[in-house]
This record gives sequence, structure tokens and C-alpha cells, in this order.
Amino acid sequence: MEVVHNKNSQTENSTTKPQKSMSPWAMARRKFMKNKLAMISLSYLIVLGILSFLAPYITTADISRVNIGDMSLAPSAEHWFGTDTSGRDVFTRLLYGGRVSLLVGISCTAIILFIGTLIGSVAGYFGGAVDSMLMRFTDFILNFPFLVFVIVLNAILFGIVSGVWVLIVVLSILGWGGVARLVRSKILSEKENEYILASISIGCKPGKIILKHLLPNVLTTVIVQATILFATMIVAESGLSYLGFGVPQEVPSWGNMLAASQQPEVLQNMPWIWVPPALVLILTILSINFIGEGIKEALNPKSYR
Amino acid sequence: MSITQMKDFQTHNLLEVENLQMHFPVKGGFFRRTIGAVKAVDGVSFTIRKGETLGLVGESGCGKSTTGRSILRLLTPTGGKVIFENEDITNVNGKRLRDIRQDIQMVFQDPYASLNPMQMVGDIVSEPIHNYYKNKNKEELKTEVMDLLTRVGLPEEAYYKYAHEFSGGQRQRIGIARALALKPKLIIADEPVSALDVSVQSQVLNLLNELQDEFDLTYLFIAHDLSVVKHMSDRIGVMYLGNIVEVADKHSIYDNPMHPYTQALISAVPDASKMGEKRERIVLQGDVPSPENPPSGCPFHTRCPKALDRCSSIKPTLKEVKPGQHVACILYD
Ligand SMILES: Nc1ncnc2c1ncn2[C@@H]1O[C@H](COP(=O)(O)OP(=O)(O)O)[C@@H](O)[C@H]1O
Ligand SMILES: [Mg+2]
Repeated sequence: MEVVHNKNSQTENSTTKPQKSMSPWAMARRKFMKNKLAMISLSYLIVLGILSFLAPYITTADISRVNIGDMSLAPSAEHWFGTDTSGRDVFTRLLYGGRVSLLVGISCTAIILFIGTLIGSVAGYFGGAVDSMLMRFTDFILNFPFLVFVIVLNAILFGIVSGVWVLIVVLSILGWGGVARLVRSKILSEKENEYILASISIGCKPGKIILKHLLPNVLTTVIVQATILFATMIVAESGLSYLGFGVPQEVPSWGNMLAASQQPEVLQNMPWIWVPPALVLILTILSINFIGEGIKEALNPKSYR
Repeated sequence: MSITQMKDFQTHNLLEVENLQMHFPVKGGFFRRTIGAVKAVDGVSFTIRKGETLGLVGESGCGKSTTGRSILRLLTPTGGKVIFENEDITNVNGKRLRDIRQDIQMVFQDPYASLNPMQMVGDIVSEPIHNYYKNKNKEELKTEVMDLLTRVGLPEEAYYKYAHEFSGGQRQRIGIARALALKPKLIIADEPVSALDVSVQSQVLNLLNELQDEFDLTYLFIAHDLSVVKHMSDRIGVMYLGNIVEVADKHSIYDNPMHPYTQALISAVPDASKMGEKRERIVLQGDVPSPENPPSGCPFHTRCPKALDRCSSIKPTLKEVKPGQHVACILYD
């Protein structure tokens, strides 16, 4: 009897215990997971990321040295994607290149989002003189001749910061203007909502209002922008490296690998050297775009407002 | 009135608004200079005694919300005074302002835009308490918030839900719970039911009435609908184009309106007690002028059926025409 009674009261307890309902984020996550294309793209990126960051454990080929005996070999069982004109294994370089390209993409995106969101939200929330000062500065950055600045900054920073970080710093310093403007405009319209007035009247301080009330509600835009940025930064790395202004040549990156195709002989007769990085680059950009679209759809405000 | 009586009278005024002005600058031109002003509130005066409800009515755009927001100092008035509990709060800032806001809270008009869609209802209602009592015990806070939710007529489970799961009326209840959380003395209710279905309106109004007794509240109740105000108020102020044209207790306003604008408003209200008896409806001509370019003299003279020549040059001030009935109109000078 007693046991049964106990059991009864327990089930009663568990049914009356209020269920946490889904947050708007949880709803968006569920919706995103139903998007096949976005999920395939995400898996591709995750696999690519894991392979790249585990490159030293996956591959054994030495790519730090020129290997005269193995120059320009076509793909074989030993060299899956062949070797390049210096005799280095293309597959291995592709993975190491992924490390650099993804690192540049992720770091730049993170730094740019941080600076852009900080400046944009402070300008948008406080308005007035703070706003016009910060936006003047943003315009100044936005109107800077990009390529000239990249080359000059690269030269200045060379030696102070090592290798890829030069490029990351340069791209980040030049890249946050767009995010700042976007976040500012979103905050400007979001702060007109009465819940912001409410949060002032219940005693929230400006920092809390920005972090807890405004940013979560403009995060949709920021996240979608982040995917675009991520793709742009990877392309920028490749483009600049291709032109010789990016990552130092001895560091493998997709852009540096593509640069090999500048030799007509490689372009015409050794597709295994440049097709893999080109393909991986294109697939990466496409996946990021699909993920961005998926997020945008999942966060569509109509679904929960 | 003896001096002690005067003093007594003064301390019973919870809020005094004196000649309040809120002019929003209009920027334009090449250098974004100030080229004009929207005179949203242009010399508003009234007092609210402790425990009473002052209704504020007027057409949309006449400056009711701006008045409410200036009192809570969500805006800094460009002129006049706001005196709360005998303290001039027109220009206080920082910590003192934050402290004062514990005593004045607001219920907002839009049940959708006034709740953060990313916050759980429990967090929305605990946030004010958390802001002022950082070290409060978590469990205690939760019980307190659950009690508040139940008190405004929501189930306890509401704590774990998000605003989008509720109807407009329930959302207003959440907003009311948030305003109550700090146990304020004055609540400014800015058209709290105008966005709701008529069937839900009276429930929310009844709730506000019950809470007033229970929590010793004083209300500034804003509405554009005279019948709603009648249900709620002890006294009523009528606003037109940033000005108060008449303030009186509600029976005087309904039975003996004195300002021509009030008379026109009242004539448009279907009156249950005088059923069958045809009341002459006064239809106002023309549109409300822009607050950016208000008429000279009396703000109402361009549409007033009783306007005299003098009305376009002399701006009337509020005068006590009958005991407790203040009217701003030169007809009564
Ligand atoms: N922040 C603002 N800047 C400029 N004009 C404003 C602002 N807020 C309100 N107004 C103007 O002030 C007038 C009164 O607005 P409001 O107080 O919202 O009226 P109500 O609440 O009575 O409908 C309107 O003409 C409105 O356009
Ligand atoms: Mg309003």
C-alpha cells in the first residue's frame, strides 16, 4: 500500500512540475536541423575542419621541404592528389592549407563581429554625439582604399606579428565597418520598441540593456552577417595570397596553392595541383552560404513573433 | 485654509506636474541643424492625489504618451516641473533617478512590443526585483514572482514560457506583473487596453481596479476612449494638442463639461442613462493642427464652434471655474 501511495504522489509531482517551454532559440535550432541542405553543408564544414586541424595526425608526408625526386607527380596510391612543382604532397598541403584558410576565416569573423557589434551597438543605443563620432570613424575605415592599406599594413606589421596573423589583423582592422553600420541600424529600430523603455523604467543600466535586451534581438542579423563574413574572409585570404599580398608564400593556404596555377604549364597540364584547392574552396563557400540561408530561414521572426 | 491644512493638502499630492513642456527638435538641412520643434507637450499642469486615478484623454497624437514618459523621465522635459512626493525630479539623474523609478512604473500600450521576445516570462517579471535587490535569495525571488503571476491571473507555468505563447490580454497581465514587481506608488498606464479585444478589455480594467486597492496604487490612466476612462478614473484631464484644456472630477466632466472641446468629446459618447433622449452631437470641423506648427492663441480655436476673435491671439491658462473644475478657455474669464 505504502509503496503504491508513494509512487502515486511521485507521478503526480512530476506531472504538475511545470515544463520549460521552448525558447525562440530552441525553436530556431529545431527548424534549422530540418533543413537538409544546411545540415549537409554543416557536416561538410565540420569534417573539413576536423581533417584540417588534425592534419598532423592524419598525414605523414613532409611538406616543409622541397623534394626534388617527387616533383609534379600525377595522383597515385602514394600521393592521392599528386605532388606539386616542388615535390610536396598536394593532399597534405590541402589539409594544412585548410587549417590556415579556416583559421583566417574564423579569426577575422570573430574579431570583426566583436568590434563591429561593440561600435554599432554603442552608437545605435546612445545616439547623439557618441553616434556621430563613431560613425564618422566607421565611414573613414569603410572608405579606405582596401588593397593599398593591406599592402602597407602588411609591410608595417611584418616582423611584429608572425605569419598568418599579419593578414588576420589587417583584414579585421579593415573589415568591421559594414558590421558596425548594420548593427547600428538594427539597434536604432529595435530600441524604439516599448520593451526597451520598459527595461529602462525597471532600472536596467545601459550595458545590461544592450547585452540582454538589444543584442539578443538583433543577433539574427549578426549571425547571418557572420556567415557572409566568414565566406568573404576565406575568399579574401585566397585572393590576396593568390596575388602575393596574403599569407607568406611558404605557409600552405588554399590561396597560396591556387597561386601555383599562375604558371601556364601547371594550369594546362597539372590540374591535380590547383583543382583540389579550387574545389574545396568553392564547396566551402557554397556550404557557408547554405548554412547562412538555413539560419536566416530558421530565425525568421514570423515564426515566433 | 490654515497653513497646517495647506501643508496637509500638499503632502497628499503624490505627483504634481507644472507647466510641463516636451519639444522634440526637428533636424534638417545640410548640417542637420535644428530647424523647428514638435511641441508634443506644451504646458501641461495637473496634480494626482495619493490613491486616486487621474484619467488623461485626448485624440491620438495629442501628447499623452509623451506626458507619461516625461514623468517617468524616459524623456527629459524641455520645460516645466515634475514633482513627485514633494521632490523636484525634472532634472535628477543617475542613481537618484534610478531610485525614484522604483516608485513610478509604467504599463505600456503595445502588448507585443512591450515584452522582450527572447526572455522567459519569469525573467521578465523578476528582472525589476533583480535590478534593485541583487542579493535576493533565488528561491524567494521565484516564489515572489510566481505569486505575482498568479495575482494578475496567470497560471504558475507561465513562469517558464515565452511571451509569444500568450494572447494580447495575457501579455498585458505580464506587463502589469512587471510593473507591480517593485511595489511602486504610482503606475502610469499608457492606454493599457486600447490594443485588446473589447471582450478582454474589461477583464484587464477590473484587474487594475482590484490591484489599486490591494497594493495602494495611484494611477495616471491614459486613454483615447472616454468610456474606458470613465470606468477607471476619479478625475479626468482632457488634452488637446499638447495642452490640458480641462481637468475636473469625472462627474463634472460627464455631466457638465465646460470646455468646448470637452463638450464635443462628450457629445460623441453614447450615453446609456439618457437612452432615447437625443443628445445633440457636436461635430468638429477640420483636422487637428500639426504640433510642429500649432495655431497661435488657444490651440483649439481653429476648430472651436464657439471661438471669438480674441481666441487666436490670447492663449488661455487653466483656471478654477467651479470648485475642482479647471478650464482653459477665455469664455469663462
Ligand atoms: N521621440 C519623438 N520625436 C519626435 N516627435 C515625437 C517623438 N515622440 C512623439 N512625438 C510626436 O509628439 C506628438 C505626441 O505624441 P504622443 O505623446 O505619442 O501622443 P499620444 O500618446 O497622445 O498619441 C506626436 O505628434 C508625435 O509624432
Ligand atoms: Mg500614445
